[in-house]
Amino acid sequence: MEDYASSDEDYHYDSDQDDSVEAYENDEDYALLSSKGPTTKVITKESLLVAQKEDLRRVMEMLSVREQHARTLLIYHRWDVEKLFAVYVDKGKAFLFGEAGVSVDQHPDSDSSVPSTVMCYICMEDVARVETTRMDCGHCFCNSCWIEHFIVKINEGQSKRIRCMQHKCNSICDEAVVRTLLSRKHPGMAEKYERFLLESYIEDNKRVKWCPSTPHCGNAIRVEDDELCEVECSCGLQFCFRCLSEAHSPCSCLMWELWAKKCRDESETVNWITVHTKPCPKCHKPVEKNGGCNLVSCICGQAFCWLCGGATGREHTWSSIAGHSCGRYKEQEKSAERAKRDLYRYMHYHNRYKAHTDSFKIESKLKETIQGKIAISEEKDSTLRDYSWVNNGLSRLFRSRRVLSYSYAFAFYMFGDELFKEEMTDAQREIKQNLFEDQQQQLEANVEKLSKILEEPFETFSDDKVVEIRMQILTLSTIIDKLCQKMYECIENDLLGSLHLGIHSIAPYKSKGIERASELSVCWNNKVNTGVTAELDRPSGSGSSDDNGCSSRKRARKDGLGGGFFDLNLPAEFIDRN
Amino acid sequence: MIDFARVQKELVECSKDSEGSGIKVSPKSDDLVQLFGTIPGPVGTPYEGGIFQIDITLPEGYPFEPPKMQFKTKVWHPNISSQSGAICLDILKDQWSPALTLKTALLSVQALLSAPQPDDPQDAVVAQQYLKDYQTFVSTARYWTESFAKASTRGIEDKVQKLVEMGFPEAQVRNILEAVGGDENLALERLL
Ligand SMILES: [Zn+2]
Ligand SMILES: [Zn+2]
Ligand SMILES: [Zn+2]
Ligand SMILES: [Zn+2]
Ligand SMILES: [Zn+2]
Ligand SMILES: [Zn+2]
Ligand SMILES: [Zn+2]
Repeated sequence: MEDYASSDEDYHYDSDQDDSVEAYENDEDYALLSSKGPTTKVITKESLLVAQKEDLRRVMEMLSVREQHARTLLIYHRWDVEKLFAVYVDKGKAFLFGEAGVSVDQHPDSDSSVPSTVMCYICMEDVARVETTRMDCGHCFCNSCWIEHFIVKINEGQSKRIRCMQHKCNSICDEAVVRTLLSRKHPGMAEKYERFLLESYIEDNKRVKWCPSTPHCGNAIRVEDDELCEVECSCGLQFCFRCLSEAHSPCSCLMWELWAKKCRDESETVNWITVHTKPCPKCHKPVEKNGGCNLVSCICGQAFCWLCGGATGREHTWSSIAGHSCGRYKEQEKSAERAKRDLYRYMHYHNRYKAHTDSFKIESKLKETIQGKIAISEEKDSTLRDYSWVNNGLSRLFRSRRVLSYSYAFAFYMFGDELFKEEMTDAQREIKQNLFEDQQQQLEANVEKLSKILEEPFETFSDDKVVEIRMQILTLSTIIDKLCQKMYECIENDLLGSLHLGIHSIAPYKSKGIERASELSVCWNNKVNTGVTAELDRPSGSGSSDDNGCSSRKRARKDGLGGGFFDLNLPAEFIDRN
Repeated sequence: MIDFARVQKELVECSKDSEGSGIKVSPKSDDLVQLFGTIPGPVGTPYEGGIFQIDITLPEGYPFEPPKMQFKTKVWHPNISSQSGAICLDILKDQWSPALTLKTALLSVQALLSAPQPDDPQDAVVAQQYLKDYQTFVSTARYWTESFAKASTRGIEDKVQKLVEMGFPEAQVRNILEAVGGDENLALERLL
C-alpha cells in the first residue's frame, strides 16, 4: 500500500500530455480510499486473547453471563456469535444453556447442618467437606478425584469441554474451578488447559485459521466475512484461506488440488516415456516411435512390434505384421493414442503454466536490479524525483504473472474432460474456450510488453524519454489490471457461473494484490517469567471499548492461585479490588 | 495409577448383593488389573439361563478411564462381536463416567442383552439377521446360549469331582470354582 501513498506528490513536471496518466493514478487512489483497508487480521500468540475478547464480551452482555459461561457457549457454537444468538432467540435461554452444558443455577453449598465429612462417590472415601468441590450443576466430589478427572480429560485433548463426573450429567466444568484446582499441584497441566482453551478460538472457528507456514510462524489469520479469499500473513506467506495451499486464483481450490497433484505425480513423465519409447528386443536401447504404423525399427537394424515389444520381420501392412500376431493391435492402438493425446494436452498447459512461473522467479531478481537503477536515477541532476511508478509497474507485473500462470491450470480443467465433461456440449465448450483464450492472449501480450519495458535501462535515458517510458508503464499497468479483472469476471460469470456444480468458486480479484492481513491492535505486556504468554491490560467484562484500550493499568494476578499462571476470567471488579 | 482402594471396595460392595443381581466380579490375578465378571442372561431373552463371562481389564486411569470389557463366553448379539466378544456400548467409551462402577457397567451390559441396538452394530452379520430375519436370530442366539453359556455350569460337577479326587475339601472346591467362574486351572492355582 505504501507504494501508492506518495502518488499525489509527484506532479511537479509538466503535464499536458500527462493528463491521462494522472487520471490513472487518481483511479488507483480512489480505489484505495473506497476500500475499507484490510479486513483480515493476523492473530499472534500475544493477541490471541484480545482477539476473542470482543466475541466473549458480546455474549456476556447479551446474556448477562460470566466469561467462562460465554466461552463454553461460544466453543459449543464454534465461535459463531450470530448462530448462538439465533438459537437464543428461537429456542430460549434454557435450551441454549442446556445444550451447551452451562449450568448457572446456584446450589447452596455450605449448610451448617450438614456433617463436616462427606462420602465421595468416586473414590468411595469419606472426605472433609472443605476438600470437596461442588460444580454449578450441583454434583459434588472430592478435589483429588476432580483433579484426576481433569488431567485424564486434558490428556485426551478434551480441555475445551470437560464434562462433570456424574453419569449422564451434561454440564461443562467451570473453567475457573478447573484452573484453581489444577494450579496447586499441576501447574503444567493448568497451562496446557489454558492453551487449549485459548486456541479453541482458532481450532473451532471457521473464520480463523492457522497460517500454514513451515516452520510455523505462530500466527493465525482471521477473515471478516468471506472465507473465500487469499491473504498474506505477517510472516510473508501468501495463501488461499479456504484450502490453505498457495494462493491459486483464478483456479478453484479443487482444480488447484488436482493440478498440484498432477504436477507432483511423476507418473506423467513415466507415462511420457512409455508412450514415446520402447526398448529394442535385441540391444535394449530405447526406441522412439515416430508416428505411423506399429512396426518400429531400432538403429541396430532390429524391427519390432510397438505394441508388444516382440521382435518381428520387416514385412507389414498398416494393421498387421507378417508372421506376427499379438492380438492387441487394434485396441491398444486406440488407448495408446488416447493416452498420448491426454499427455500432449497436459504438456501444452503445463509448459505455459511453468513458463510464467519461471518468468516470475526470474523477474523477482529484477527487483534488485531496478532498485539499483532507481538509485542511479535519483542521483542524476533531473527534475524527475519520484520513481515509485517503476516499483508499481514491477508489482503489477508480478501480480499478473501469477494470474497468468494459474489461468493455465484453470483452463486445463475448465476445458478438459476430467471435471465438466457432462456439463457442456462440445460446441458450448468451444465457444467458452475461445472466449477465454482470447482474453488470456491479450493479457499475455501486454504482460510480456510490460516485462520488456521494465528491463530498459531508463537510468541512462534523457528526461523526455523517462517521461515517455513512465507513461507507457502506467498505461500498460492500467490495461493489465483491467484485463485481469475482466478475466476473473469472465471465469466467475461466464465459465463457472453457468455450471451446475456449485463446488467451484474462486477468490475475488484484488487489484492491489493479495491483501496483507493487519496486526490486531493489542496492548499487551509479555511476561516471560509467568510461564504464560501474556497478561491483559484491559479489564474484561467492563464493556468499555475506549479506542484501543491502552490503559496503563496492569491486571493483577490472583495470588491465591499460587501457581505461575494467570486467570483469564477474573471479573473486572475483582481486579479493581486488588 | 489405578485407584486400588476403590477397586477393593467395589469388589466387597459387589459380593454383598450378588445373590440378588446375579452379577459377580472377581480378580483373575492378585494385582487387581485383570478381573472377570459374570452376568446371568436376562429372563425372557434368548440368553435366559446362560451365564456369561466377561474379561475385564482396568486401564491405568481407572476409574477416570473406562474399564475394558470383552465377552469371554461366545454370544450371538448385534452389539457384541461373535468373533472376539468385543462390546459396543457407549458407557464403555465416551459416555463413561467415573461415578459408574464395574457392577453398574456390567448391569448395562446385561441391559444390552435385553435390548439390542442393531443400528449401532458391532457385528454386522448378526445385526443384519436381527433386522431381516428375527426368528432365525432368536434361534441362533438361543442355540449359542445353550452351547456356550451353559457348558461351564453343566461341566461344573465334573470339575468338582475331579478336584475333590485330588484331595481338596468339596465345600472349598465349590466356593473357589464359583469365584473363578468355573475355570478349572485357575481354581487349582488358588487351591494350591
Ligand atoms: Zn473422591
Ligand atoms: Zn454434574
Ligand atoms: Zn505466517
Ligand atoms: Zn484454495
Ligand atoms: Zn536395437
Ligand atoms: Zn509401416
Ligand atoms: Zn505384437
